[in-house]
Amino acid sequence: MSFDPIPYDLLGAFKYFLVVFGSAMLIAVVVCLIVGTLTRGAKGFTGVFRGIFDFFVQITHVSCRRIWSLTVLTIREALRQKILFVFIIFAVLFMFAGWFLSGAADRPDLQVQSYIDFVLKAISWLVIPIMLLLACWSLPEDIKKRTIHTVVTKPAYRIEIVMGRMLGFTLLGSAILVVMGTIGYIWINRQVPETAQYKLVSKVPVYGEIVFTDREGALTKTGLNVGDIWDFRSYIEGATKARAIYKFTGIDESDAIDDKLVLESSFEAFRTHKGNMEKGGILYQFIFVNEDKNLRVPSRPLINKEYSDNVLEVKRKLKYDNPEGKGEGDAGTEIDIFDDVVDKDGNLTVEVQCLEAGQLLGMARPDLFVRTPDRAFLAGYSKAVFGIWLPMVLVIMLGVTISCFVKGPVAILTTLTIVLVGFMSKEYMTEILSGQMQASGAIEAWYRLITHMNSQTALPDGPVKFIIEIVDAGIINFLWLCQQVIPNFGIFSNMREYVIKGFDVSWNAALLPGIITTAAYILPCLIVSFYSLKLRELEAK
Amino acid sequence: MDNEPVIQISNLTKIYRDFWGRKKVRALNSLSLEIKKGEIFGLLGPNGSGKTTTLKLLLGLLFPSEGDIKVLGQPASNVEKNERIGYLPEESYLYRFLNAEETLDFYGRLFKMPAKERRERAAELIEKVGLGHAKRRQLKEYSKGMTRRIGLAQALINNPDLVMLDEPTSGLDPLGTDDMKRMILELKEQGKTVLMCSHLLADVQDVCDRIAILYGGELKVMGRVEDLLKEQDETQIMTSRLSDEAIKEIEQVVAKHNGKVGTIDHPTATLESLFLKTVQESKDRPGQRFVPDTEEKKASE
Repeated sequence: MSFDPIPYDLLGAFKYFLVVFGSAMLIAVVVCLIVGTLTRGAKGFTGVFRGIFDFFVQITHVSCRRIWSLTVLTIREALRQKILFVFIIFAVLFMFAGWFLSGAADRPDLQVQSYIDFVLKAISWLVIPIMLLLACWSLPEDIKKRTIHTVVTKPAYRIEIVMGRMLGFTLLGSAILVVMGTIGYIWINRQVPETAQYKLVSKVPVYGEIVFTDREGALTKTGLNVGDIWDFRSYIEGATKARAIYKFTGIDESDAIDDKLVLESSFEAFRTHKGNMEKGGILYQFIFVNEDKNLRVPSRPLINKEYSDNVLEVKRKLKYDNPEGKGEGDAGTEIDIFDDVVDKDGNLTVEVQCLEAGQLLGMARPDLFVRTPDRAFLAGYSKAVFGIWLPMVLVIMLGVTISCFVKGPVAILTTLTIVLVGFMSKEYMTEILSGQMQASGAIEAWYRLITHMNSQTALPDGPVKFIIEIVDAGIINFLWLCQQVIPNFGIFSNMREYVIKGFDVSWNAALLPGIITTAAYILPCLIVSFYSLKLRELEAK
Repeated sequence: MDNEPVIQISNLTKIYRDFWGRKKVRALNSLSLEIKKGEIFGLLGPNGSGKTTTLKLLLGLLFPSEGDIKVLGQPASNVEKNERIGYLPEESYLYRFLNAEETLDFYGRLFKMPAKERRERAAELIEKVGLGHAKRRQLKEYSKGMTRRIGLAQALINNPDLVMLDEPTSGLDPLGTDDMKRMILELKEQGKTVLMCSHLLADVQDVCDRIAILYGGELKVMGRVEDLLKEQDETQIMTSRLSDEAIKEIEQVVAKHNGKVGTIDHPTATLESLFLKTVQESKDRPGQRFVPDTEEKKASE
């Protein structure tokens, strides 16, 4: 598992939203006041406040009935434009997908993953672009054909037109998504062979926090770095006092599966010598620790099978001298894993120890978890489909908003650019802006390129350097603005990853950030579209 | 007719500007007029004179560059005023994928009309504009005349106090034109105010109480139709058909009173009235050829 489901900081996100949204609004009002005063004097100044007041009046007086009638109109329009032809493409894809996806017969887990991946990708790649096109095209077309004249000359607020469009496309997209999702679910169930059906589950993991001890037994934040550029995992050295210590919280007997505590791990090995290859992996061991009771219960030695999940089922009642409890401690003593190892506050501490000298075992926070009773595959799958619904709604909101002030083709290109940047470059931008990634400005890079100057040499002092720094600062500020405004679409693709890997989609680490991200754009989109339509002459020649 | 002003325009100027804010066209220049409750007011002028611009400024589709507009006592930008307004655009900008019933239902919903009232009103209007036979056909299958009719129906869905009609008879055949004029007069009878733009002068003359003629965005003439058209220095007497002797005697009487006879002729009907008569006869006596009242017909009789 290479993804780390970090719990969402709701309060932090809310504060961040308030800062960005509040400052954006403040800047917009100040700019409008200056422009209004310069162009129209006192009338322009008061007009800005009247405009702000208008928004609140309209938003508080919107009529659900009118919005619903515009919603129905939007749905009718799309249906009569033969939107449902999308199902033909969908059907064709599914008719032949089985031919291309069946292959890894020796790895049923991979086979299941590829089926789920295909279904979820096919749905999102069909639904989201279509809704993007519809959302960006409808309002400009309405304005171009002047059909909007017969609507705005009725007692319909312009914000209601925007809301009706957004809601109409959302409902239509939702219906398409439900049908496609259902077909996809049936298809997966039929496609996955009987022998691999057990893989269709939604595992519910409980993740802990991780700290390390070095070879002398002293606590450290990280383990060893073996030179891997990807420093996701830290390593512990075998046959020393180096340990990875996982601390799980909130564990109780309801987390048991068939009266067993189930631990699932996927550690990565780093070998300094070939070792005994016939064993099938490096030996390691868990030690269950309860310091309150001075209890250290080691598991039997385990073999770390790489590139697959290692499952350890620990019986609730265990003795030290049985295979699971063999090792340190008072032999023959029976303990209850939930009463004795898990402390009274529900904390469970598990130490991981590599048993082979000269070998290292790499691990990260999500590489070991307590597996609690599984949920049905449908539960995780439905949440993953919901994970397609959220970006779809966001794309619709952005598309309709942008189409309020530019023509259809420009709206499509703009929205598409935002979506692609949000999907692919958001983290890259964050890394540049936070200083995690060393990068000079675009103009400086271009200057160095054409003058064959290496990156270590300082730019010569003078007007050239001054201009380069000024322009690069402008570009960086623009990048900062984009980073603040463009939604992080990467959040949504995480949900698909959960289901592909057999997990239930985490509420705190995936669903909540997705919902909050989508919800955060509702108000800004409404404000931008309101003023775009309000300040626009719908009949400018 | 009431003296209460329904539309008040004062010093209205509209300048169209390009992307950079440079002046392109001065479409209206200091237009001031007032339209009273219950009258049919015609806005006339050649193409590009500013008729439609005026209408769109009144509806809030355009923003005035200068001047003030009050419609039903409220600023043009006020959405609430639209509760009492019906608007038929120059070309019926309607959703072509809807049928007549769906169209009226949609617009009725925008007025928050209850479902029952909406259905009844839609059925009544569809019959009134003569589209009962095509109410389930999508508008994209309609002829231009049919589209104008459903356009008028949507303008009347809310039973408005003020109806703004932009070129209401454009694209209509004489029958449709006649129906449209009849419906406009009916609106007046119901106490509604009608503002119509047209360059079909005969239509305006038939229905309007007052007119204003615009040219180059400026108001050139405004007043009551009969006042503006009345020839103050001439007298017209219409009688039944007279013999040549009788005509000579009349000429003598006129001369005796220092008058001068201009023309003496048999009045001709308009082509429109002949057309309407032919259609009506064809309806009443299907299969028979209609023979108009010509000299030849009278001679043969």
